[in-house]
Amino acid sequence: MTTDNSGDVRLCGISKTYGSFTAVHPLDLTVPQGSFFALLGASGCGKTTTLRMIAGLEEPTTGTVLLGDQEVTHLPPYKRPVNTVFQSYALFPHLDVFENVAFGLRRRGIKSVRKQVEEMLELVQLGEQARKKPHQLSGGQQQRVAVARALINHPKVLLLDEPLGALDLKLRRQMQLELKRIQTEVGITFVHVTHDQEEAMTMADTVAVMNAGRVEQLGSPTDLYENPRTTFVANFLGTSNLIEAEIDSAAGGDIVLKAGGGKLVLPRARCSAPATTGGKVLVGVRPEKISLTHADEAGGIPEGRNRITGRIVDSSFIGVSTQYVVDSPVCPRFEVYAQNIDRDPRLVPGAEVVLHWNPAHTFGLDAAQDIDAGVGTAEEEGA
Amino acid sequence: MAFVNWLKRNLVVLAGLLTLGYLLLPNVVVTVFSFNAPKGRFNYEWQRFSTNAWKDPCGVSGMCGSLSLSLQIAVWATIGATTLGTMIAFALVRYRFRARGAVNALIFLPMAMPEVVMAASLLTLFLNMGARLGFWTILIAHIMFCLSFVVTAVKARVMSMDPRLEQAAQDLYAGPAQTFLRVTLPIAAPGIAAGALLAFALSFDDFIITNFNAGSTVTFPMFVWGSAQRGTPVQINVIGTAMFVVAVLLVLASMAVGNRRTKQKAQALVGS
Repeated sequence: MTTDNSGDVRLCGISKTYGSFTAVHPLDLTVPQGSFFALLGASGCGKTTTLRMIAGLEEPTTGTVLLGDQEVTHLPPYKRPVNTVFQSYALFPHLDVFENVAFGLRRRGIKSVRKQVEEMLELVQLGEQARKKPHQLSGGQQQRVAVARALINHPKVLLLDEPLGALDLKLRRQMQLELKRIQTEVGITFVHVTHDQEEAMTMADTVAVMNAGRVEQLGSPTDLYENPRTTFVANFLGTSNLIEAEIDSAAGGDIVLKAGGGKLVLPRARCSAPATTGGKVLVGVRPEKISLTHADEAGGIPEGRNRITGRIVDSSFIGVSTQYVVDSPVCPRFEVYAQNIDRDPRLVPGAEVVLHWNPAHTFGLDAAQDIDAGVGTAEEEGA
Repeated sequence: MAFVNWLKRNLVVLAGLLTLGYLLLPNVVVTVFSFNAPKGRFNYEWQRFSTNAWKDPCGVSGMCGSLSLSLQIAVWATIGATTLGTMIAFALVRYRFRARGAVNALIFLPMAMPEVVMAASLLTLFLNMGARLGFWTILIAHIMFCLSFVVTAVKARVMSMDPRLEQAAQDLYAGPAQTFLRVTLPIAAPGIAAGALLAFALSFDDFIITNFNAGSTVTFPMFVWGSAQRGTPVQINVIGTAMFVVAVLLVLASMAVGNRRTKQKAQALVGS
């Protein structure tokens, strides 16, 4: 599209320690010009510190920050061509909306700001509110003032620190689309910090999942969801069923595993753990990839699918799908989401069932990790 | 029964009015007696209405000189104490340094110390240093005891300020000086103003510390005290009433400005 790289953000080995606490371990990250990049993680994972190091509000303990080809590691925030949308917005309470938005222009000595400010307020649909003070606006309006105040400066990079955290769910969904629209319109690099995995997946082109000061995995939302490489990512993004299994044979493109009494097939390409016969791996499968069949009709299941037996312990109907919890010898609480297309009335708690899925939907993880890493952290944070 | 019911319904209003009367009665006396034409030297008994004192407020020798001195000291003490106090308040809230806790506690010591003891000790200090008592010793003493009050008022405001506002200003190309002038100062202004008003009032009124450390200089409170032993000129009441009126007018003016702003906002809301 363009060879302009002035909006690239490159972090080379940056880290941040406070006394003996390491907030961010040495980190290398490149955010290409014009992309929508999300840093996703639970609170205290170092995502905000990373963002603040790009903004210049925090000085890295080691490493360098580059914007395009310019090194900005030691530049103060007011000399960097980046702007931030702060958590809870940090709008200036003593200035009206117009002056809040004009603040950056005025500080750079631009005299005639009127036209630009009015255009920017139109972009965020706040033209009518120009003379109100921030406290007279609703949360969503304040959020848009914060975005306008940052964007009017045409930064190379826009940094967003949990920009939607203070909004209620419905408004948050609406603002996600709005922000995505603005990003497409202005074409600026956006770096977005959030703890909300759905928000990150909806908006970002690339997501970096952070945990305990490190990037666990980086990729497109689909890639992260379909091919998690750590248990943290598997559990933090959506839900995963993880089974500990032993490698039976690892010949050709498929790995055959023993779990309980049965065998499971895992494509070698989807296994991030070393595949040596006799070794252990964690086998994962997403709940919506699994089909449920009553034990009486197990014969009708096509050959070549991974299968596991179990008994339904719980089911909840939520409209578009039904969520089942299945107790199986290999995994105590197997979650299955079934679309409500042809519901089998026999699938009720207590029923003996066979779970089966296409082996291509199986992923393999290193068994040396905590199988529950990342479970529940997203929910806690959201509360 | 009817009276009891009436009392039940209006007890709060009644208590409020009585308290207000309790507060304002002395002011009424000051004002009324500024229009008195006393027999003899003491203005303690009502004789007849007269505006003589109002026509010649400086008619008592030495009084207007002491008033002007008191106002000068109050202005300088306010400027000094507010500047220093604001800086101390910011340092205590925004920065972590060694002995911060100790400073925080020591700042309140002058407020807790009995004023008369403080006054006598200050005199000892000034005499031992060989300072000449007068305007400067009074000013130094006033800035000292006003400081604690200013720090308290400003600190409360600064503590409630979100440090992210200053970060946002820096993020929007404001250097340290611009950030302070455009964001920090305007937001802290109500606290600083409260501290300054307090300092002015405390300094203007102060008698005990001033009396010990003034030498032969006479401030307005000292003049009133001195003259009360020989007779009280009506002009004292005139000055008192005038200050009261100025204060009330200032309050009314600030309320009017506030009201106009709210109305403008309301109109803006209706217009949108």
